[in-house]
Amino acid sequence: MNINFSGVSKIFDPDIAALVDINLNIEQGEFVYVIGQTGSGKSTLLRLITREILPSKGSVVVGDADLRRMRNADVPYYRRDVGLVAQDFRLIPTLTVYENIAFVMEAMSVPKRIVAERTKDVINQVGLWRRRGMRPAQLSGGEQQRVAIARALANSPSLFIADEPTGNLDFHTASEVMKILFAINAAGVTVVMSTHNQAIVNSSRQRVIELEDGRLVRDEKGGTYTAQ
Amino acid sequence: MTTLKYIIRDTWRLIVHHWVLGILTLITAGVMLWILGVTTLFSLNLENLLSHLESELVVQAYLVKDNTLDVEAVAGKIQALEYVYSLKAYSPSDSLAKLQEKMGSQSRALDMLGDNPIPWNFEIHVHSAADVEPLVSALKEMPEVDDVVYAGLVVRRISALSRISSQVALIMFVLAVIITALVVYNTIHISLYSRREEIGIMYLVGATRSYIATPFVLEGTLLAFIGAVIAAAGIIGAYLPGIELIRENLPLLTNILLTDKAIIWRFCALLTGFGATLGWVCSYLVVARFINAITRPE
Repeated sequence: MNINFSGVSKIFDPDIAALVDINLNIEQGEFVYVIGQTGSGKSTLLRLITREILPSKGSVVVGDADLRRMRNADVPYYRRDVGLVAQDFRLIPTLTVYENIAFVMEAMSVPKRIVAERTKDVINQVGLWRRRGMRPAQLSGGEQQRVAIARALANSPSLFIADEPTGNLDFHTASEVMKILFAINAAGVTVVMSTHNQAIVNSSRQRVIELEDGRLVRDEKGGTYTAQ
Repeated sequence: MTTLKYIIRDTWRLIVHHWVLGILTLITAGVMLWILGVTTLFSLNLENLLSHLESELVVQAYLVKDNTLDVEAVAGKIQALEYVYSLKAYSPSDSLAKLQEKMGSQSRALDMLGDNPIPWNFEIHVHSAADVEPLVSALKEMPEVDDVVYAGLVVRRISALSRISSQVALIMFVLAVIITALVVYNTIHISLYSRREEIGIMYLVGATRSYIATPFVLEGTLLAFIGAVIAAAGIIGAYLPGIELIRENLPLLTNILLTDKAIIWRFCALLTGFGATLGWVCSYLVVARFINAITRPE
């Protein structure tokens, strides 16, 4: 799934410019790091892709969909093709690991038998089958992040958005999460991940998009990152 | 079918997760709907009683003493008035006989009057107490009518009582509906508010608004429905024995009060349907408003 930002600015009330005139193009199957300091606009950029927010100016086109013009009723159908992993995991606390993952398919009216098979597959993929009956609060941060990844994988998305997925994790757990993300990308899924983890960016040499005060200051293939 | 199964399961999850709030809603909705039902029954009975009293109201119109008067034509003219329910004509001789019968042993005094002084007269029944005053005015304007006799004060009091009781019943009804609606509205709102983060996540991972909203709407409808069933049971449990008690102690009222069990059961069924509908409308409104607000992009 291609992503195209054309002259995108996002101004929050009261007159705070989170992004200023962003132009960029991400091709199908790419792995892209969005880097920058806290408050540089990384999360805003990703939230524009998931259509949690709309641009104040310019257009964001994902695949064939212009997100600004998209009808609210079509948003859930668009999001089913976008896997999302956030730093705070965003798991439903009252549901178990299994239920959290199954939910995304149930919301699409997938029959129970298929839901069961697919849920089992993705839980195994992230190595948490033995934890399937637990609620998020009973899991470690790394495990919760893996559940979030499994949930994002459940619908076999074409685009994977990860907003600082390793931000709350130690180095070892973060490496495991990254292995899963690379595997997802290897299967042809576009991955856009925000981070300010220097070690992670420098160890894999992917395309790097750097933001500073809401402006795109660097777009480099095989780039590195030196945190300030 | 698959979606329906998931939605029913999610509704059950909601009820189980908020069971304390659910029970409070059940009790409050039940009590308010019970008050609504009892008020309505009380009003219906009061209405029956007043109708009964009104049907007893009689206006007596005495015609001028004129042998050439066409009594049948006058009767037709009065009958044509919109306030008249029924009319009965009494000839002078019938009226005198009636009077003699009433006076009993003192009826001899009437002999002293010589000629029968009572003219042709009509006993007129009206539809309601409110019809009496305009009827009397209309009768007094008729040249054939010499005098009109009626219980003016009683009529005015019954008319006022009827008006006030209708207004009080309407106010009680509206209040009970508003309070029940607010209780259901608030319960669902609290339920939604406590799960706002979950709702946001559900929407983010691809659940449609209707998929998220339906369990909340069903929860509200179900709680109001069960509350209404409890209220109906309370009405049957309190009203029917109450009627029995009145029947034993005040037999005069037996025919006036609403005692038909079939009607009471039908009334309770109506109350239950009304409760469920009220729950559905309130839940739908609050859920639509809340989910629209929470899923709107910034």
